[in-house]
Amino acid sequence: MFRRYRQRLAPAACAPIVFRWDLDKTYLKTEFDSLRELVRLPFEKAQDKIAVPGVVPLIRGLREAAVHAGREVRIYFISASPPQIAKAIRQKLALDGIEYDGIVFKDQLGHLVRGRFRDLREHVGFKLTELLSSRQTLPAAAIEVLFGDDWESDPIIYSLYADIVAGRVEDEELADALRALEVAPALIAGMRELAHKVARADAVVKIYINLERRMPLTSFRIFGPRLVPTFNYLQTAACLLQDGYLPLAGVGQVAERLISESAYTSAAVINSLADITRRGHLQPRSAAAIRAHLRARGLVQLERRSRLVAAWSRLIRWIDPRPRPVSSPPELIDYPQLVTQWQAARLEERR
Amino acid sequence: MPVIAVDAMGGDFAPDDVVKGVAQVSLHTEIESLLVGDEQQIQATLDRIPYNPERIAIHHTDEFVAAVDDAGTGIRHRRRTSIMVAARLVAEGRAQAVVTAGNTAAALAACARYFRTIEGLCQVALCGVFPRQTLYAGQDPLALLLDVGASVRCEAADLVRFAVMGSVYARHVSKLAEPRVALLNMGSEENKGGAVLIEAFRRLKNQPSVNFVGNIEGHGLTKGTADVIVCEGLLGNVVIKLLGAMADVVVDSAGTGRRENWRHKLGTFMLESGAGRLRELAAYEDYGGAPILGFDRLMLRLPGRANARSVENAIKVSAKAVCSGVVREIAAGVERL
Repeated sequence: MFRRYRQRLAPAACAPIVFRWDLDKTYLKTEFDSLRELVRLPFEKAQDKIAVPGVVPLIRGLREAAVHAGREVRIYFISASPPQIAKAIRQKLALDGIEYDGIVFKDQLGHLVRGRFRDLREHVGFKLTELLSSRQTLPAAAIEVLFGDDWESDPIIYSLYADIVAGRVEDEELADALRALEVAPALIAGMRELAHKVARADAVVKIYINLERRMPLTSFRIFGPRLVPTFNYLQTAACLLQDGYLPLAGVGQVAERLISESAYTSAAVINSLADITRRGHLQPRSAAAIRAHLRARGLVQLERRSRLVAAWSRLIRWIDPRPRPVSSPPELIDYPQLVTQWQAARLEERR
Repeated sequence: MPVIAVDAMGGDFAPDDVVKGVAQVSLHTEIESLLVGDEQQIQATLDRIPYNPERIAIHHTDEFVAAVDDAGTGIRHRRRTSIMVAARLVAEGRAQAVVTAGNTAAALAACARYFRTIEGLCQVALCGVFPRQTLYAGQDPLALLLDVGASVRCEAADLVRFAVMGSVYARHVSKLAEPRVALLNMGSEENKGGAVLIEAFRRLKNQPSVNFVGNIEGHGLTKGTADVIVCEGLLGNVVIKLLGAMADVVVDSAGTGRRENWRHKLGTFMLESGAGRLRELAAYEDYGGAPILGFDRLMLRLPGRANARSVENAIKVSAKAVCSGVVREIAAGVERL
């Protein structure tokens, strides 16, 4: 039965797929909460850097699944860290066996030398400019899945980017939102120009936000169903399986890594799947398929169900084993208002 | 770490405060909580607060017992209520203890239906905790009183068993090597209180497993001379409710100055830090709950007005009790009698 499930999951060769990853707090467990940690950061060696649990098998799985399906795949990283740490980062990615197609760093030293201190902490302008520039180098039909975290402004940057590319943000609205986000006027002008040039396409299909700070989920409702906040990469992997970007085996590898290297228990795995299902991002039948797969691999212990219930579940999966993506129709977002709400939510969370 | 079933729908501020307490536990400890209640309401609360989903499971049930329901409304037969389901899950081994701020009669009914009474016991005991003076640094600021309402009257042998159970619980949860056990009576002399209490005194005095310090009178309850106080359910219930009401009076009095003229307001302002400590001491809702002892499984009961902090404390206390094997120790203690 699961063989059939896997076969139907594999996406057909179609538009190129781009996975864009933020680096700090999304790929790497970077600690910069204190000045001491911040100072130590540039001197950290590749082997000292720690990846967020489950992220490595997830990225590998995404590439493998796309290649297996004969689909063009690109993986990009974007970081607001200075290029001075690029060497260690590249070494870390090599150590983890991550193949990637591009990585961008922020020229913090340049800002420092030019005395543009405000730009040191300003990431929205930097990231959005880089995303829009990069988009222009991609085929117009390329679709994108974006990965960030709740530490800085990834939800707002990614949502804005998705809607600019889709042509859902008016020029004036973009300028207002960027001004509200305190982006430097020179960068705003540059971004408006890039926004004009970019080929219109509903390219960004999902935005995954790693809840590193455990921000309340209600803070993310304003971004609509396209943005999925996840507590760990098992939840992300489960949603990606449902959308057809990852096979069951890929989800299994993420779970295996969490259990073997991050002390996740069987209960933690089951609870994580139940949580993402309750929140409506994962269909119960997808969750059931994942649980059955993890059980078959000996990764989790499930309670014994009555024969009748088990038979009924098998029948349902046999009738239609393919998990359907959760429909996420793009919603029109009022960005200037969203910026105000987001800033209020972050202020509340800090309190 | 143990799994603690939490009755999400029990209490005056349920499910919000119960869920908030569970969320705090999920963020700061390794304890897994199994929330029993309306899934949609629970998730709606979780959505508003930080939590760790890896340590929270939800078991859906859409029935619950209201605070005003009493034993006469047939709560024993309503098997799908959150408290009944929580107890059943513990009996089935899916969790190791229950925490509830719900209806006391329902809690007792759930225990009676799904748990077994420890062999050798005729009466189970509902415990209560109350603040008392501390005589030395590190002394637990709370004393344990049992029984506070599981029974009305009982025999001398039951009081001895209560003493053993309370002593074991205090030893494991309050980390007291030799908890001092007293018998609540109308005088400190051996021959006071009638036949049952006189007989109980005699037996406790000769009981090697209990550090019996004699009779204690009402005014001695809060002095810190005893860690475990044993009495009949009727008396215990009156005492624990009276102490709670007195705490309310104290808290209310501390704030009275604010409503008076400017001199009182100034005085109250200057005493604010002291009044704050007083309120903290009298805040019954902040305590970690009290157990129902005598069953082969553990249930911790909180007052109906329990807040998130008390739910959090109760979960931690029950996990501590489960890990230290309180129920097993109680069974062994009762068997030795």
